[in-house]
Amino acid sequence: MPQVKIIAKNFIDMVASLPAVKLDMLYANPFICEAILRSLPPLAKKYVLQMMYIDAPIPAKSLEEWVLPDGLSKHRVAIDRLIQLRVLSETVDRKKETSYEMNKKFQINLQKQLIHGGILPREPMASSSVILPSSEELEIYALEQWEHFLLHLISSNQSEKLTNFSSSMMKVFQRGLLSQRDKEASRLTEYGFQFLLMETNAQLWYIIREYIANAEERGVDPANIISFLLELSFHETGQAYNINTLNEVQLNTIKDLSDLGLVKLQQGRKESWFLPTKLATTLSVSLSDTATRKQGYVVVETNFKMYAYSTSKLHCEIMRLFARIEYELPNLIVGAINKESLYNAFDNGITSDQIVSFLQQNAHPRVAEKVPTVPENVTDQIRLWESDLNRVEMAPAQFYDEFPSKDLFEAVCDFAREYGALLWDDSKKMQLVVKGELHNEMREFLRRQKQ
Amino acid sequence: MVNATRGLLISCDIPMAQFIISMNNSKPSNQKFIIHVLDDTHLFVQPHATEMIRIAIAEFREANTYEKPA
Repeated sequence: MPQVKIIAKNFIDMVASLPAVKLDMLYANPFICEAILRSLPPLAKKYVLQMMYIDAPIPAKSLEEWVLPDGLSKHRVAIDRLIQLRVLSETVDRKKETSYEMNKKFQINLQKQLIHGGILPREPMASSSVILPSSEELEIYALEQWEHFLLHLISSNQSEKLTNFSSSMMKVFQRGLLSQRDKEASRLTEYGFQFLLMETNAQLWYIIREYIANAEERGVDPANIISFLLELSFHETGQAYNINTLNEVQLNTIKDLSDLGLVKLQQGRKESWFLPTKLATTLSVSLSDTATRKQGYVVVETNFKMYAYSTSKLHCEIMRLFARIEYELPNLIVGAINKESLYNAFDNGITSDQIVSFLQQNAHPRVAEKVPTVPENVTDQIRLWESDLNRVEMAPAQFYDEFPSKDLFEAVCDFAREYGALLWDDSKKMQLVVKGELHNEMREFLRRQKQ
Repeated sequence: MVNATRGLLISCDIPMAQFIISMNNSKPSNQKFIIHVLDDTHLFVQPHATEMIRIAIAEFREANTYEKPA
């Protein structure tokens, strides 16, 4: 099974990793150009704006003159990033002088964007023809949809509502999160557990990444999906957009997206339309740093009792990962954090820091204002229990003794220390322990000393 | 002549070291696994002892806890 590492990087990194041809295709869309511009580090942003109306290649030397000497490292980062995204192309002429030229398509599109402002390929529908849900309703809808999806993901039999995703699509998402053996019921893997404790944005990003990566297998060009998703992030939250304006690929994509809660599909008498939710519009913003605070629901008391004011089954499942659920009331889940439940979690590869940060991030508004949000004795105890598991450290090693002279012993000690491989030494008894992998070098060294 | 021995370095706290030493003492002489007791917190043992020690410690830990029946 391929090990899928969960790294919540941002959208733009994914764009940057596309092959050159695809990237050039993406830049045909002005919205992508703008999204790229927004994502750039500040200095790179400035360069793009500064070069926007320069048609000729600019020598690297004159670019360097724009920054003070101590800004050079940032300058390099900015230039590297721009080249990586193929916004700038580097050319070396016969005199070995480097010069940079801006991607023509990108340049023209940005110029247009600057002059005319962004015009979406579709206008929001007139509010007289549709009844718009309020923004709260839409947000609730988005979260509900997302929760359904997650619940379906971790235990397919538990959610009653069926999603549009085919079971093969679901398998793709589950790959890396669940381990599947033929006869046993599937179990969450280490990454799966970590996945559940992540923030919604990071989770969403992971799923979208898998979705895009899998696009090729479904016969869809990943670039199309990326451009559509970026475009979507420029739509206005809660506005209705007519579904007729979408092409076929986008139409298929939007159905999947509605299952994830990114858009809400609605049908009127004649037409149908979609409403982007907050999840969609924040997607292209660098995901890791927009920690939009959700309404929390967990209260942890100093006696290790945990109260979760939630009606969600998913929350209950998440708590079960590291706590012992004692009662499930219609709107309240009561649990206790104890040694056994935590050992279970640690066995599954969850770390104490993840648990603590989960409790802190999802704190009930009543306790969220307090400092600390989670009682210190509880967080300390969670960390202590974890360190209790790692009381004994073992390392393969070589033990050396019976040194003929103090000098030789000191020399060997220094030699091992240089490699950072000295684990333990006792100068009185003239004994030392060195990492196992250094044995061959040590033997060589000792042989040379003898001569 | 310098003498080299292949093995496993265990670093832990004092109680754990004592636990491992007592475990070693309870074995018949042909199964003893500690090669050197280096100091209070370091032991040098035979390389194959890893799993055995881990299991023994886990058992010890479990014997010390009590779970309230559901």
